[in-house]
Amino acid sequence: MKNIILHFFILILLLFQSTEAFGQELNMNKKPPLRIISLAPNMTEIIFALGLGDKLIGVTDFCDYPPEVKTKSKIGGMTNPSIEAIIRLKPDLVIMTTDGNLQGFEKKLLRLNIPTHVFLARTISDYTKSIRELGLALGVEKRANQYATETEIALKRLKALGERRKTQSGVFIVWPEPLIVAGPGTFTAEAMAIVGLTNVAQNARTAWPKFSLEELIRSSPEIILTSKKHKEDYLFSNNFIKKLGSTPAIQNNRIFFTTDALLRLGPRTIGGIEELLILLSDEN
Amino acid sequence: MKTKSYILIVFSILISTLCLFIGPEFINPFSISGLDKEILLSIRVPRLLTSLLIGSALGVAGAILQGVLRNPLADPYILGISSGSALFAVFAMTLGSGLTLLSFFSLPFLAFLGAMTTGVIVGLLSFKEGRVVPERLLLAGIGLGFLFSSALILILSLATELNLRRAMLWLFGDLSLADYTYLPVGVLIVTTALLITILKTKALNALALGDDIAFSLGFSPSRERLILFTAASLMTAAAVSLGGIIGFIGLLIPHIVRFSAGSDARILIPLSAITGAAVLCVADTIARTVLSPTELPSGIITALIGAPYFLYLLRKKRMLWE
Repeated sequence: MKNIILHFFILILLLFQSTEAFGQELNMNKKPPLRIISLAPNMTEIIFALGLGDKLIGVTDFCDYPPEVKTKSKIGGMTNPSIEAIIRLKPDLVIMTTDGNLQGFEKKLLRLNIPTHVFLARTISDYTKSIRELGLALGVEKRANQYATETEIALKRLKALGERRKTQSGVFIVWPEPLIVAGPGTFTAEAMAIVGLTNVAQNARTAWPKFSLEELIRSSPEIILTSKKHKEDYLFSNNFIKKLGSTPAIQNNRIFFTTDALLRLGPRTIGGIEELLILLSDEN
Repeated sequence: MKTKSYILIVFSILISTLCLFIGPEFINPFSISGLDKEILLSIRVPRLLTSLLIGSALGVAGAILQGVLRNPLADPYILGISSGSALFAVFAMTLGSGLTLLSFFSLPFLAFLGAMTTGVIVGLLSFKEGRVVPERLLLAGIGLGFLFSSALILILSLATELNLRRAMLWLFGDLSLADYTYLPVGVLIVTTALLITILKTKALNALALGDDIAFSLGFSPSRERLILFTAASLMTAAAVSLGGIIGFIGLLIPHIVRFSAGSDARILIPLSAITGAAVLCVADTIARTVLSPTELPSGIITALIGAPYFLYLLRKKRMLWE
């Protein structure tokens, strides 16, 4: 039993890893990479968005978008990728993130002479900067710059639209039971701010806090957001909704089911914010 | 000693009532607003009742097992029941999200099923030539527990990050899920097991003296042991399925009670129930209050209090041998 508890503590520690930035990449290969491995689902989506889907040879078990990833070799999970599987694929560039991959894994790869690029952005505001850096590493500078500029323009437009809405209080429920919500500093909370929602969980101390149910009720959010996949989930049952019954969001039936794009910082995030704006305005 | 027991009972009741009003926001019992009333009734009361139920179940299960196994370091989880329960629950949580297992069976049900399956297997494994020997029971439990916890870690290492976080919160003991749905079943199971135990306290006292003496006093050691083991398993299963794995209550509480009221099972059992309930109730209040609005798993608070105490006991034990 003690042994298990120790294991859990180690795992918990891994989950609460600090936001301290990873080191920059050492890869300065002159020619653009031809064999790319992605260590995170959002990285996979970005690589496809930059038109390099055919150069992507390995992805994680959790990469599920776009549908073409099904044919790619799997290298394991985000926190526990198989280093052997990676070596066997002979990549000339591995892309990882600071959000979900283990710190220090990059050094392990570099020691094995596997060029590695770390995508640093964890927020929407840092996103395009990291895209430009990634474009350099991937040798698709022009396309990345273009994509980044497009994203910036779209973001500006969405921000302008969001500012026109009246400010409301809201919460993004990541998981109903136990209650986990999007806390401060997450891009999910950032997306909420863009569409004019003040996060009732902004005083929480962690990015994805286990939130107090009674505090949620007390903060009386006007809007409740959650992922679409919970729509059919038994956890989001009447029982859970009933507990939140006194909140304005439930009383006015303003609970919205959003795409997963708001839980994965990538090319679909902008679309996710747009969809959120439409959802919110439809009800007005 | 009797006065001491009464003080303990009164103190436990007072502190539990107080805990009802303490939380992320203090609710003044003399001026309760509509929102306060709703929070009290739909969240704090079921949570308080669940913590009292789990605390008493774990306290008594610990006291039984320490007696039956004649081992001061036994706790309700030593027989692998928690590992079996956790395996079933986490399996459902990580692999069976959406339209599979969890939609048909609720989490508490699966956790209970896992716990009882383990209990039955351990019981069968320890049964030999019509006898249940404590050492056999202990080793069967530990062996099966290791098997199940390895399977559990295997599942966790394959889980996605979010599922992992969720499973982890459950494994550390989580009372935030408490509502009225499963409370009646839990109360039924725990009170039945508690009644059986109270009827068997004399046998528990006899077993503590050794099988030969128990036999000469007119008890059948194997039969009594099996009944008590079943009662302890039921209580542990109910506790784990309602609140996840809350550590150290089962180990700590019987020792506290023994220090203050002696080791006579007729007093030890009811007092373990009351003290266990009060301690978990306080731990849960701390867990939901200190970092509010972020909640800590209650199991972490009990372990943070329990672990140093465990070490202290270990130290004391060594001094006795010396």
